[in-house]
Amino acid sequence: MRDSWQRRIDRAARLAERDETARPLLLLYGRLLGIQRDCYEMLRQRGHRLTGSLDRDLPELRPCVEPMLRAVAAIGPPRLADEAGRILDGATPAIDALLLAGWRMPGLKPRATRRSSGEQFFPKIALQPYAECLASIGVRPRDRSGLRGSERTGASDEARAERSEPVGVQGSPTIQGKYACPFCGGAPQLSILESAGDADGGGRQLLCATCFTVWPFRRVLCAQCGEEDEHRLGYYHSPAFDHLRVDACDTCRHYLKTVDLTRLGIAVPVVDEVAGAPLDLWAHEHDYQKIELNLVGL
Amino acid sequence: MSISRRAFLQSSLAGGAALTAFGFDVTPLYAQARTLKISRTSETRSTCPYCSVSCGIIIHTLGDKAKNAIPQVVHVEGDPDHPINRGTLCPKGASLEQEISNTRRLLTPQVRRPGSDHWEDIGWDQALDEISRRVKTTRDATFVEKDPQGRTVNRCEGIAWNGGCTDTNEFNYLVVKTMRSLGVCYLENQARV
Repeated sequence: MRDSWQRRIDRAARLAERDETARPLLLLYGRLLGIQRDCYEMLRQRGHRLTGSLDRDLPELRPCVEPMLRAVAAIGPPRLADEAGRILDGATPAIDALLLAGWRMPGLKPRATRRSSGEQFFPKIALQPYAECLASIGVRPRDRSGLRGSERTGASDEARAERSEPVGVQGSPTIQGKYACPFCGGAPQLSILESAGDADGGGRQLLCATCFTVWPFRRVLCAQCGEEDEHRLGYYHSPAFDHLRVDACDTCRHYLKTVDLTRLGIAVPVVDEVAGAPLDLWAHEHDYQKIELNLVGL
Repeated sequence: MSISRRAFLQSSLAGGAALTAFGFDVTPLYAQARTLKISRTSETRSTCPYCSVSCGIIIHTLGDKAKNAIPQVVHVEGDPDHPINRGTLCPKGASLEQEISNTRRLLTPQVRRPGSDHWEDIGWDQALDEISRRVKTTRDATFVEKDPQGRTVNRCEGIAWNGGCTDTNEFNYLVVKTMRSLGVCYLENQARV
């Protein structure tokens, strides 16, 4: 399942109409999605030149990044607008270094290496369309640190076969990388519950924060630390966001939001996740950390 | 991407406005978050008790683990990761929640007297007394000490036991011990899972 950029933009606009509180955030997110769509379209036209190695693909990505930075400088919040301006004033190698750092260090950052807001935001907004473009044309990323060895060197049949089974069903859950995106090695942004066929229960899938790949994942299992003790896991739900919930782990104190498509089939997970921003604020207040922040930093 | 509560609050409160880590203003969302009524639910993987297929289920239990709160089952669904049923359930299994929480559940023993057209509620003591008396009478009347060939069998042929599908292992253990001690041979239960 992969939503089109236009569907995401339309959903953001529709939710912004309905939700007065989240309207400013959703309108801004909708504009950011528009910027990303343009980048994606540009990359798709050059898809045959993409290699999956960001080092080599930078010449193809650079033409998207500059308009992207200009747009963020025009519509972004003051802090990001200033940083976008500073990056634009700098040299091309600085932009390249920013992208490469974001690409090579997917997922959770140790506190010691946590970077400034701009250093986290700009790689994300540029690399999402790049990674999704790679996924759509089937070119596997080759130089991301989250990838396992066999995947870093290229697509393997074993890796593809592995993707057809829910992660966590076989083998012991031990390391964080085990739960990374099987395509690009990125951290999960959210999880999705969706019924398959005649199933009564909703099958769980994780959605990659970088390439938006969706892969099956076991229910009642922490996507951060692998905890499977049901007494240490739980979800928080508010009637105000009926199709959203916060899946939290009391062992590692991490959480991710779940979009329940069995309750609202028209939801677009990445957008509805942003619309449920109050749940993120609630989770932070209760000392839970999100596995991966979304594009608006929640 | 990790952000600690301390770092989040620091960025949130910068300049008197609530800001996300990337600088987006979320002041109104912060206010909304304070008004949310949020409840904690846990998911427990288990096995449907109804038949020997052993379908996997997930039981949703509402409760925040507070000592003074009673956990309440609010939903039961098929386990989509279970190799036997892959999230599907039969109509009976799909109604499992009502087996646990049901306002129509019988809370007292009932008896339908010979010739009567309705069930009547009776007390637990009365029920035990009547059952004991009937068991004793029936066993005394139908107990077979030796078979036609003169072999000792010590069996009670006038009583049969049929167990329910939600009887627990422990309950079935006690049933077998009790019925065997009475000499009951016609013994059946649902302990196949």
